[in-house]
This record gives sequence, structure tokens and C-alpha cells, in this order.
Amino acid sequence: MATVAAPSAPIRSSKTESYIDTKRRDDVRRVNILAARAVADAVRTSLGPKGMDKMISSANGDVIITNDGATILNKMEVLQPAAKMLVDLSRSQDSAAGDGTTTVVVLAGALLRCSLSLLTSGVHPTAVSDALHKLAARAITILEDMSVPLEITDRETLIKSAATSLNSKVVSQYSSLLAPLAVDSVLSVVDPGYPELVDLSDIKIVKKLGGTVDDTELVKGLVFDKKVSHSAGGPSRVENAKIAVIQFQISPPKTDIEQSIVVSDYTQMDRILKEERNYILGMIKKIKATGCNVLLIQKSILRDAVTDLSLHYLAKAKILVIRDVERDEIEFITKTLNCLPIANIEHFRVEKLGFAECVEEVSIGDGKIVKINGIKDMGRTTSVLIRGSNLLVLDEAERSLHDALCVVRCLVNKRFLIAGGGAPEIELSRNLGNWAKELQGMESYCIKEFAEAFEVIPYTLSENAGLNPIAIVTELRNRHAQGEVNAGINVRKGQITNILEENVVQPLLVSTSTVTLSTECVRMILKIDDIVTVR
Amino acid sequence: MAIDRLLKDEATEEKGERARMSSFVGGMAIADLVKTTLGPKGMDKILQSTRRGQNITVTNDGATILKSLHIDNPAAKVLVDISKVQDDEVGDGTTSVVVLAGELLREAEKLTMTKIHPMTIIAGYRMASECARDVLLQKAMDNKLDNEKFKSDLMNIAMTTLCSKILSQDKEHFAKLAVDAVLRLKGSTNLESIQIIKKPGGSLMDSFLDDGFILDKKIGVGQPRRIENANILVANTAMDTDKVKIYGARVRVDSMSKVAQIEAAEKDKMKEKVQKIISHGINCFVNRQLIYNYPEELFADAGILAIEHADFDGIERLALVTGGEISSTFDNPESVKLGHCKLIEEIMIGEDKLIRFSGVEMGQACTIVLRGASVHMLDEAERSLHDALCVLSQTVNDSRILYGGGWPEMVMAKEVDALARKTPGKKSHAIEAFSRALQSIPITIADNAGLDSAELISQLRAEHHKEKTTSGIDVITGGVGDMEKLGICESFKVKQAVLNSATEAAEMILRVDEIITCAPRQREDRM
Repeated sequence: MATVAAPSAPIRSSKTESYIDTKRRDDVRRVNILAARAVADAVRTSLGPKGMDKMISSANGDVIITNDGATILNKMEVLQPAAKMLVDLSRSQDSAAGDGTTTVVVLAGALLRCSLSLLTSGVHPTAVSDALHKLAARAITILEDMSVPLEITDRETLIKSAATSLNSKVVSQYSSLLAPLAVDSVLSVVDPGYPELVDLSDIKIVKKLGGTVDDTELVKGLVFDKKVSHSAGGPSRVENAKIAVIQFQISPPKTDIEQSIVVSDYTQMDRILKEERNYILGMIKKIKATGCNVLLIQKSILRDAVTDLSLHYLAKAKILVIRDVERDEIEFITKTLNCLPIANIEHFRVEKLGFAECVEEVSIGDGKIVKINGIKDMGRTTSVLIRGSNLLVLDEAERSLHDALCVVRCLVNKRFLIAGGGAPEIELSRNLGNWAKELQGMESYCIKEFAEAFEVIPYTLSENAGLNPIAIVTELRNRHAQGEVNAGINVRKGQITNILEENVVQPLLVSTSTVTLSTECVRMILKIDDIVTVR
Repeated sequence: MAIDRLLKDEATEEKGERARMSSFVGGMAIADLVKTTLGPKGMDKILQSTRRGQNITVTNDGATILKSLHIDNPAAKVLVDISKVQDDEVGDGTTSVVVLAGELLREAEKLTMTKIHPMTIIAGYRMASECARDVLLQKAMDNKLDNEKFKSDLMNIAMTTLCSKILSQDKEHFAKLAVDAVLRLKGSTNLESIQIIKKPGGSLMDSFLDDGFILDKKIGVGQPRRIENANILVANTAMDTDKVKIYGARVRVDSMSKVAQIEAAEKDKMKEKVQKIISHGINCFVNRQLIYNYPEELFADAGILAIEHADFDGIERLALVTGGEISSTFDNPESVKLGHCKLIEEIMIGEDKLIRFSGVEMGQACTIVLRGASVHMLDEAERSLHDALCVLSQTVNDSRILYGGGWPEMVMAKEVDALARKTPGKKSHAIEAFSRALQSIPITIADNAGLDSAELISQLRAEHHKEKTTSGIDVITGGVGDMEKLGICESFKVKQAVLNSATEAAEMILRVDEIITCAPRQREDRM
């Protein structure tokens, strides 16, 4: 990957602001930039609605098919330090905005290409870096001017932007289904007390093989990818459920100190068996006494959470049992059910139970899941059940839905929309180009160069869609010059239209963080003049 | 014949001229390595780890670079050491000290070529450094009495320190953060109570100072999310069960019901422990170890906020700032010192939830939350901020300041030159050399910024020939500028430490005339 740079250091005149440097350092920087650009080129083709997917086969033989830049880069395992920084860049975009992970890398690649040509013409790297910083600040004001405010109650617009994000994914044909789903699930977890904050961990995504993506649904309640314990013929459907989440075990007692029971004769053995039965029965009676009829049992490492015997008694008592609930999930479950976890049988009281209209086991595909519906006083959480015909589609659907959720979250955080389809990038390029003419000196020269770098996004978009990139970009530039700020590439029609009217919109936060993050990363790469191997 | 076998096999010996050459070369090589990071337009380095994972670090901090190098040359190790000491003592100037020492060695090498004895050079260097120190003392300014001015001095120092780092673009923001944090300390140099939390995401400008303590942990299930006037018990105790820690202890029983009884007894023991903890009159309990489900529920029932698995660093700091003590037994509630704070609440930074303790007893405590694009960026930002905090906390105690931008070096060089002219004998050559070495710092700053250093230095020297000048190198415009107007300041203590340790290190290396490398320890062949 790290192509060895051609040693072609040009002869420079040593006037002020020119950069006198040794060839070795020049090479380090050149190698860094080339490596980083190689990474950018690798994900370039997956940009946009007609971008292609990548198949990644990992070292242990798993295959992933994805269109998500962050995922591709994560799995690539690059070694070159500068290339690694680009991978990190896409990861930060993922955590900051959730979408635009490919765009940010492609943009950084284009900016690096410009920097390289600036460096070869003798501009000092810090001058380039300072110019980039100014450019980023300016670019953000331009983007903010372009943006359209949005009301959080405007569900239609939210759906549009989620759909734009989904359109570039494998699951794009289902965007009409997934987009409203993403919007609804985010809106349902927004706390009116803190309308700015959305905690995506309140949205639980459950994947289940079988069916098609069409069958994906939003569940108002809880979904477990688990079976009800049937071994003793317990119920699989309970109405008017009283649900307890327990963190203790219904099994023969076990002390923390090592224990052994000494059996010396036959009658004693009989007695022990009876005692064990009584012990469990006693526990179950206490549970039954509160009216509880659904039990969620936390997984236990130290001892069996339930035994066959206790399952048998629970089934007799008509209690539905779901076992092996992970400890991490307890918080989500209790929040949803509006109940408290119970860690000891002595604390088993009615006020700690949760109530729901119906708990039932549903068989879908080859497996079964448990749904809890009609929860009383439900917390602000949502579950989404994703279906897919194979694991690859299922995983990709989950990633795409995550992106869509992030997009909606961005809109909740910062309530502005911006046009998609390359319109903001062309507008940036045009405005920054004009701005460069007002500036003087090195800055103007650098900014003029970088302004053109932004055209890489519409260029790649049209290239990936099989259009003639040069024709499209020049026409786009022309339309923007005539004042059509929202003109963008309509990939479906293969022409340039007002992209806002075509409902191709994205959150402002995604665009601004793309610009800030990619410029920050490029500046960092530019400032490096040596790679030192250390312990 | 006996002489041949004086040293063990494989042990080597370098003598006289060769030994000196090898230490000179080593010292200069190290200095040249970090030279390019000096000054506001210095470059960064990537440190690529050869360990597993091949982690990379991007840094501009001389001490960090030198610390992680593989070095075999003994003289080079001395330079790495002085940079480390500089980092520990004053926190900044780690690059300058190495560059200056390297230049002193380079000058010394030239002098030894002309057959001047190393001891003469050392004597000359000593006189020169003494003279330089006196000049610094005379020229240092002290604004301690004038509060307004003192604060602006601090801001200037912070900005000067930060401008050579990654934070340079947002230096005003960070300088303000650092100054606020240090002023809260009220003169103590204990940086422990300033906590730095790094959270990826957002941009550097989103970083902020919070006057409280932030713990990166979660609150237990079903417990209050917000507590006012909290009494905090910080503990390091096992909250699973008090296991009998005698090897092989086991219970022998003959019936199931007895096992159940023992289990119940264990539960009771736990309950008792929790009761004891609750009886301290607390409403927040922070434990370093895990809190199991059962005690967690008991705490939830008692309306106590329990935080489990806080890392050791975290609880020590928490105990410090809330004024409590870490306890591990709970039998004597009256002897346990509880921590207090006005408000505990859950806050959200980026995507993560954290717990904030505000209004803590130790008013100095504060937390700086750093946000940034990537982990590399955050790490580097933390290092830069740490440097700034160190320098500031030193300056609060010793408030003397100097101008920056090569000004102190030029002032010293001028006086040292004057001394050289007055001094008879061979020593004067060494003194002159010292002055040249001092000038190399502004030269390097100019070179790194891509400026014409020869031209600038001659202008600067002419400027400094006048009395009471304040001119230094202005890297931004690329000329000679007025440091007072530009507000470029440095702490006196940093400069003094740079001068002293660089001279001492150079002197030490100069004295060497023989290097004996011991035979490597025999390793067992594991093949």
C-alpha cells in the first residue's frame, strides 16, 4: 500500500515562507499522504445511492458485505500509521454523526491530494494547515446559511432524511419501511424533559433470521430472542401478565464456601431429595403468592439459574419462564417494564413487578421469540425486530438502520436540514473559491486549491452512478453560479434537479462534522515530518 | 599479555578521542531528531510502536518522543534523562533543553578539534552559564502584585506554550481553561485534583472545564439518578460475600435444609454489612470492587446511590476531592471520614453517560473534558494541556516571567559575548561558543518556520544591541517583532531550568574520555 515516493524534490528558491527541508522528511510526508489516499480510494466506489458494496472476508473466514465506510475501514486492518489515522477518522464520524463515514474519508483523500500538490510547489506545511483551519470555519458558516430549519414534530421531513441515508445501502428498496421505523423509534425515546438528548442505547435492535427485511417491525414493548422454557410444559402465552425480573436462582441452595453433603445411609438420601423439593416449592409458593405469572431470570455463572425440577414446579404454577437474561440487559428491561430487579426471594413483593397485557411466544422462521405487549407505564424505550433472509443481509440491515437512527438523532440534536446529492459540496466549492479571491498571499492560494477539492463528492457520486462526471459537475457548477443553491445530482433520473424538491435531504450536523473532522485529520497528517519506531 | 585480558569477553572499551567523538555524535543525533518540533511551526512525529497492536502516537512533545526511543548510545541517554527531568520539574521546555545541550556539544566538538582541553571548555561553559543566569535574573519581570496583569501574564504564558502544540488554533480557549483550572488550585502544584477526561467526538472547541468531579461510571439499577447534599462513602471492599479465606475451608452437612441455612446466613452477613454501611448516614456509596445484585438491590431499597467498579485512580481522586477517606471496614461509623458534595447527577457527554459530583469539599477540584476528532488527537491534546498546566502551576508560585520568541537567548548571548571579550585566555573561546549555542535556539525556531534564519538572526542581534529591547522572532509575520506587544511570554523557571540542565548535561558528557561497555549478560538459549 505504501507506495515508495518518487524522489523528485524540486529545486526551490529560498525566499521567505518557502520550505527548506531534507529529502527524507519530504519522503515521509509523501508516503503518508499516498498511503492515506490509498485508503480513501479503497472506499471511494461505495459512496452514494448507486455506490457499490464491498465483500470482506475476515481472517477467521467470516464474510461481510457492506456499504458502510466505517465498517469497511474497520475490517481492513491497515498498518501504515497515516492510513490508520484515516480509519480512525471514519470511526469518529461514526460516533459523532453516525452517517457520512464514507464521505469524510473521500473528502480527506481529496484534500490530501491538493495538499501534496501545494507542498511540491514549495508551500510550508504549516501555512497549508492554517489555511485549512480557516477554510473549515468558513465552510461551516456557508453550510449553516444553506440549511433549512426543521421542527421535530415534522415527521415527514424526518422520514425523508432517514430515507436519504438508507438509499445508499443494500436495503435501499426497503427504505420506505425502515425510514419511518427509524423516525418513530427515535421520537419515542426522546424525553420531553431533555429534548436535545437521545440515548440510542434505549433502542434495542433484535435480529432474527428468516422472512425478509419487509417483515421488520417496531415493537411497542419488549422482544427477546429467546425461547420460553418448555421442558416441563409451562404456558407459552399469558394475558394480564405480572412480570418479575429476578437476579436469584431457583435451584437447590449453594453456599459460597465449598460445601459437601455427607450421606451416610439410604433414608437420609430420601430425606435430602424431599428437602430439595420442599425448598424449591417454598420459593415458588412465595413467587406465586404475589400473583406473578411471568419470570425473567438472569443468567448465573456460579450455579444453575433454574433446574428441571424448578421448571417443572413453575410450569405447574402456570408461570411463564424466560431464562438466561444477560446482566447488561437488566437495566434496559427494568426501564422498559417499569419494574425493579429482585435479587432475593425475601424481597419478592408486588410493588417490584411490572405489568403487561400480553406475553407470548411467537414462532417466526425457524426460531421463536418472546414478545411482551401492552406494558403498563412503559419507560421510554423501543425495540426493533429486524428480519432478513440471510445473515449477511441481516447484519447489513442492522448497520443501515443504525445509520438511519443516527441521522434522526442528529436532527433531534441540531434541528437543521441541508440538501443532499452533492449540492452543499458544490456550493462550498463555489463560495470558497470566491472567498479565495478576496484573500491575499499564501492563504488565498491554498484555499483556492482546496475549494476545488470539495468537488470530489459530486464527481464521485456521478461517477459511481455511471454518469459522465465531468459533464455533471460542470453543469452543477453552472447551475449554482446562477443562484440555484439547492441544485444537486439526481442519481435516479441521471440529471441535475432541485434536490430539496426531490426529498434528498440530510442533517446539517452530518455535513458540518464531515468538514471539521476531515480538515482536522488532514492538518494532523500534514504536520508530521518523521516516523520514529519506538518500544 | 595480561593487559589483553583485562576485560571480559565481548566487553568493549573506547578511549580518548574515539570515546568523546562517539558521545558527541550520539548527543547531536538526539538533538537533531527533536529539533524540528521546536517552536510554533514545529512539526509532529509519528511514533510507531513495535509492540503488539502497533499502536501509533502523533506528538510534538519532546519528552514523549525521547521517552519512547530505543537508544544505545550512553551520551544520548543522558540527554533523554535531562528531558525527562525537565518534564517532571517544570513540564515544558523539554525540547529546548535537548536542543541547547546538543548545540553546546556541537560547539565543544569544534573546540576540541582546535586542541583545546575539555576541562578548559568546561570552565568556560561554567563562567558563561553563570553570567547568563545573572542576566536572566536581572531581566525577569514580576507582576505578582498587580492581579490584573498577573492574570494576563498567565494567559500569555499558556498561549505561548500551547501555540507550538496541536491546540494552537484554539489556543485562547484552552489557555483560558488551563488558567482557570490552575487558579482554582490556589498555589498548590498538586495537579492531581485537575482531572482530564477524554471523550472522542465533537471538536476541540467543545472541550470545557467543569467545576466538579466526573466519574466515568454508571449508577446501579433502580437507584436515584440525582442526589443533593450527598454524603459519600468511598470504599474498597468486597461486596459479593466475605469469603472465608482459609485454604480448603469447606462445610460438611448432612441435609439440604442445612445448606439452605448456611446460604441464608451468608445472605444475612451481606445484609448486615450493607446495614452497617447504610448506618453511616450516607446516600452515596462508591466501591472499587463489584457490587453484586443482592447488595445493589438493598442499596436501591434504602435509596442509596451505589457505584460499583470505580477504577482505583478514580476513587483515590474522588476521596481526595470530596474530603473523604477510603475505608474497608465499617464497624466504627464515627471514625470514618465521609466525603461531601452538593449535588450528584448523571450527565451526558457525546453518547456516554457519566456521573458528576459538583460542589465538592475541595474547592480546587475541577475536571477538564476534552473532545476531539480522534483518539490520537485527544492524547496529544492531553499532553499539551498537561504541559500548560505544569508551567502555569509553577508560574503561580514563582511569578517571574520572561519574553519568548528567542528573546531570552539573545539577551543571554549578548551578555555572554561581552564576558568573552573581557576574559583573557583560552576560556574565552569556550564562552564565545556558549553564546553561539544559545543563538541556535532562535535559529532553529526560524528554520522550522521556513524563514531565512541567517537574515533574521542578524537583524535580531542588531536590535538587541540597543538597550531594553523586547524584540524576538515573530513567526507569524516572518520577521522581527515586539514580544511585549505580541504577548509572547515564558516562565522564568522554565528558562532557568533549561539553561542549568543543558549546561550540566553538556559538561558531564564532555568529561567522558572512556566508554566501557560491559559484556552483555548471557541469556539462556531458549530455541
